[in-house]
This record gives sequence, C-alpha cells and structure tokens, in this order.
Amino acid sequence: MKSSTVIILDNGASTIKAGVVGVHNTDPRVITNAIVRSKGDKGTYIGHELDKCRDFSSLHYRLPFEKGYLTDWDAEKAIWDGLFSHEVLAVNTAESSLLITEPYFNLPNIQDVYDQFVFEEYDFQSYYRCAPAIQTWLLAASLIPYGKLYARPGLPAPDCMLVVDSGFSFTHVVPILNGEIVWNAVKRIDVGGKLLTNQLKELASFRQWNMMDETHIVNNIKEKCCYVSTDFTQDMETSHLNPRSNSIVQEYILPDFSLNRPGRIRRRDEPLEGQAQVMYMNNERFTVPEIMFRPDDIGLEQSGIASTVAQSVALLPEDLQGMFWAHIGLIGGNAKFPGFRERLESELRALAPVDCEPAIYSSKDPILESYRSGVAFAKKHAFTQQAVTRAEYLEIGSNASRRKFRDWKPASVDASKEPEQASRKGPTRPQRGTRDNSPPPARKTSKDKGKGRATTRR
Amino acid sequence: MPPRRQPQRQTQVAASYLDPEVIAKRRRRHLDELERSNYAEPSASLAGIEEDEDAPAGRSVKGKARQFVISDKREWPGMPKKKSSHSVRTAVLYKKNLEKLIDESGIANYPPEAPTYLSAVASPPREPPRLICSVCGYWGKYKCRKCAMPYCDLNCEGVHNETRCERRVM
Ligand SMILES: [Zn+2]
Ligand SMILES: [Zn+2]
Repeated sequence: MKSSTVIILDNGASTIKAGVVGVHNTDPRVITNAIVRSKGDKGTYIGHELDKCRDFSSLHYRLPFEKGYLTDWDAEKAIWDGLFSHEVLAVNTAESSLLITEPYFNLPNIQDVYDQFVFEEYDFQSYYRCAPAIQTWLLAASLIPYGKLYARPGLPAPDCMLVVDSGFSFTHVVPILNGEIVWNAVKRIDVGGKLLTNQLKELASFRQWNMMDETHIVNNIKEKCCYVSTDFTQDMETSHLNPRSNSIVQEYILPDFSLNRPGRIRRRDEPLEGQAQVMYMNNERFTVPEIMFRPDDIGLEQSGIASTVAQSVALLPEDLQGMFWAHIGLIGGNAKFPGFRERLESELRALAPVDCEPAIYSSKDPILESYRSGVAFAKKHAFTQQAVTRAEYLEIGSNASRRKFRDWKPASVDASKEPEQASRKGPTRPQRGTRDNSPPPARKTSKDKGKGRATTRR
Repeated sequence: MPPRRQPQRQTQVAASYLDPEVIAKRRRRHLDELERSNYAEPSASLAGIEEDEDAPAGRSVKGKARQFVISDKREWPGMPKKKSSHSVRTAVLYKKNLEKLIDESGIANYPPEAPTYLSAVASPPREPPRLICSVCGYWGKYKCRKCAMPYCDLNCEGVHNETRCERRVM
C-alpha cells in the first residue's frame, strides 16, 4: 500500500489524543471524549466543541466509555465525526490509515464494532488497533529515567519493561517482554481519575460546599491541589491539628463564571473579594489520591499499585524479574500527581527482593506518551505489515483483525491462531511488531471557570 | 505468586446491628456510584438531556431503539453525508451496557488459565483495612454500631448521627 495519511487516535475515556503523522508528531489535538451539556448556557458541546463553552458550572457529561470500555457508539460517532471533520483534523478518512488504541482486555464483541466503524462507516484504507502501552519499547526510550544515568537517548529500549498505566477509568500494571504484553501477568485496579474526582466531590459536598453537580470544577481542584503523600501518617497529623491553618491546607477560590474568573489557589495573604467562595483543601489533598495506593480506604478490596506491581512481577519468568523491577515506566494522567513516583518508589523498595533496585521511569507528559509512541510505531514498516486493510476486511470481516492483531485472547478461543505461551527467551531484541490492547488515559485538560454554585451544607 | 488470601478483616468490637451482607451491598453500591459520569445525590435529574448513560445496570434496551440519536443530528464541514451500514446503525441505535456486553462476550467461559478482563483484577489487599473517619477524614477509632462507618471522636459521631448514619456504609 502506498503511503497515505496516517491518523493516530489515542482514544481515551476522558480525552482523545489525535493527530496526523507528519503534522502532529509531538503535539496531538486533545479533545474531551464526551458530549457535554452546560446548564449555565444551555449549550450542548460535542467533543472538541467544548472549547467554545464559557460556563462550566453544572456540566452534564455523556461519556462513550463505561468503566473503561466503549459502550455508547452514538456518542462516540458524534465525537469522531467532529474530530475527522474540517473543524479539527480535516482528513479524508477514506484516503487514510488509522492507528487506534483500545482498552486492555477489550471485549471481542466490542472489538468487532471498532472494525465496523473503521471500515464500514469511515472507510479507512487500513488500520491497526492495540492497547495504549503501544510499542512500549519505543515508548521506553522516551521515558525519563529518574535518578539513574544509564538512560540513554539512542540506546535500544529494554527487553523487559513494566508499565503502570493509570488513567481515567482504571489503573493497569502491564509487563512487556521483547515488545509483547505478557497478558497473564497484566493486573487491573479499579481506581482511576474518574473515581478520584467523584470521591473528592463527595467529600467536599459533605464537608463544605455542595459540589455534586460540579464535576468539571472539582476535577480542576483535584488537578491543582491533590498530591500523593509520601508520609501518610505524618500528613494525617499535620492536617489534623488545626484544619484551617497548617502546612498542608490550601484555600481554593471557586470560579465565578459570571465574572469570567477561573478558580485558583489563594495566595498567602491574598485579600478575598466580597463574594468569593473558598473551599478548604486539607486532608482532601492527599487522602483522595491515596486511594490508588490503598483502594481499601474506600472499601474496594483490591491491592494498591505497589503490591499489584509485585503480584505482576511474581508471575513473570524468575530470571527476568530483576529486569522488570529495574524498568518500571509510568504513563496516564494520574502519574502527574506530585509525589506519585516517589511514593511508588519507596513502596516498591520495600517489596522488591534485596538484590533488586526498583527504577522508575517517568515522563513530563504521561498523558501524551501513548500518542507519541503511536506516531513512532506508525512510521515503522511493521505498522504497514500488521495493519488490516479494507480489502481484507471486506473479504473476511472481523476475522481479519482477529488474525492480525494479536492481543490477550487465547488461541483455543480464537481458532485461527496457534496457542501462544507467555514465551520467554533470553534477552533477544524485539522482532515483531507490537500488539496489545488497552485502556484510556486519564485526566481532562480543562479550562476552568464556573459559577461557584455552592450551597453550604454544614 | 503468593497465595491469594482474603484480607483479614478485623472483627470490630461491638456486633453491628446490620447484617454484614447489607453492609457489603451498600459498599458495592457506593463504589458503583463513584463510577458514574454524573454522580449527584440524589440520582441525577437530567432535564431534557439526550440520554441517561448513568441509568442503573440492567436497563439496557431490549430490542428498542434509541429515540434520540445525537450523531444523526449534526453535520460537520468536510464530512460527507453517508448512509451507515447495518452493523454501524445497530451499534448506534441499540446501546448495551458493559455488564451485558461482558455477559455476551463469553469471556466467563474461557479456559481458567486464559487471562481476561475478569481474571486481571488485582487481588485483595493483605494489610488490614485502615479506619478513616467518614466525617473529617482523620483516623477513625470507632465504628458506628448501626451502620459501621468509622468516626474519630464525639464531635464527628454527632455529625455522623445527624447527617450520614445509615445512608451508606463505607
Ligand atoms: Zn472525625
Ligand atoms: Zn451510623
């Protein structure tokens, strides 16, 4: 197939990161993957149109994803239509190829619908579908090693890598061996940015202002104020003594959309204007992200990130486990919480065998990593080889992608494939292309403004 | 891989008046609420909104098409108008919730050694749960005997009794 336009679509449950290879190589368009209705201005905004919204109070969200999986195709189609149109990417899909991400362990019946949309609705020439940890060895090269110098622009990426992908819907621990996901060691924690925002909404509403309808505002507060504690016990004491004045508490001035004034953290000694409404962020700052490390704090009986990493590594070939400990990469929006890496590192130190030094690689833009590695992959010959073409689809339907996109499904279920064991061969270079499956990224990049539509509760 | 163990829940002092089953059920309900797109109390009133995607599980359409299809309502510059295929039309018109899709996917019948969405879930924690005051967020030393939610002192107990008791169990 001749070279055509290649579109990368990292289809996250919160935001879509999309662009055209050669045009948006590092900076994709980031649009909200939702249809949003503003009660303030009565407008309905589809995906990218949210840029036009001016009143972010009481936004109602219709999300195409439910618990990380695409279930509302009407909404998604409306958003994709806008995305491909002249208003955003301005591409002719019938003359383009597509690389799209899907959640880890995407369901086979949902995968068929992806195929149908790609070929029957948008008539793409060819496409490749995989999890966000796409071509992770490429991605690995782009992550910044922390505290270690052996990292390496230009050096080949490691054969063993363990990606912690913490996004909007959930958090996955994804080991990758020689460029392939080791599916039987992939683990999921049902905590993502959406749950954290909802938890903060609930705490704030119970303790201070009724913010139950203010997802957008509370999400902004979460992004600006919350952090992962590196000493939870100490922070509990610090915040407890005087809840209105201590080294942790912040005052967040709620936005006022009627005055076009965004929300923000109050500066020290800053005078407050008359009607400004202030929300105190005290232990809320760290008890909310804490749920990623202790899901049982809200009664969710799942291990936190660090022990889940340990569980996953324990399922990997023994002689390679040290290599996995040494190459842990962070992607997804929750990796942006200050303290996330430090906390994970200190917990992992306690869990790793004595002779292993956990090393964590992080990125300045954990939300964009998956998109960028997608761009790198799309430029490779492997992409053209492994993509399913429209002709193949027209001939054998979704069997084409079942054959070509290797993912988590066992061969016994998918008759067209040889059984594949979690193969472990010494440290060989990755030879085949990537294939995975995967979930959505995390947070919203949202502007904030909004009427402090707040009623006092107690 | 260490053996999976159920977390050792400390049995709290006083016997709850509430059946642990009920408590567990409420906890699950709360966790479901935290997954909602528009989580408001009481459940969202959606005046005029196209579709309540937050409808409780199980409400999936049974052969009844959506009345309002938002993707039909918009024309975008540069997007040719086209007639969708039968499969695409079906996906747009008949929404199924995740629970139903998981059910229909058959992954529950995959061989036990095959990794799936269902098997990938992280195992239960090994540490005992911490008690955190449901009112102020500090350590909760006590548990409400009626509803099992933790609180830290008399003051928070009072607030709990007045506002939250039995509304939900953490
Ligand atoms: Zn308290
Ligand atoms: Zn109670």
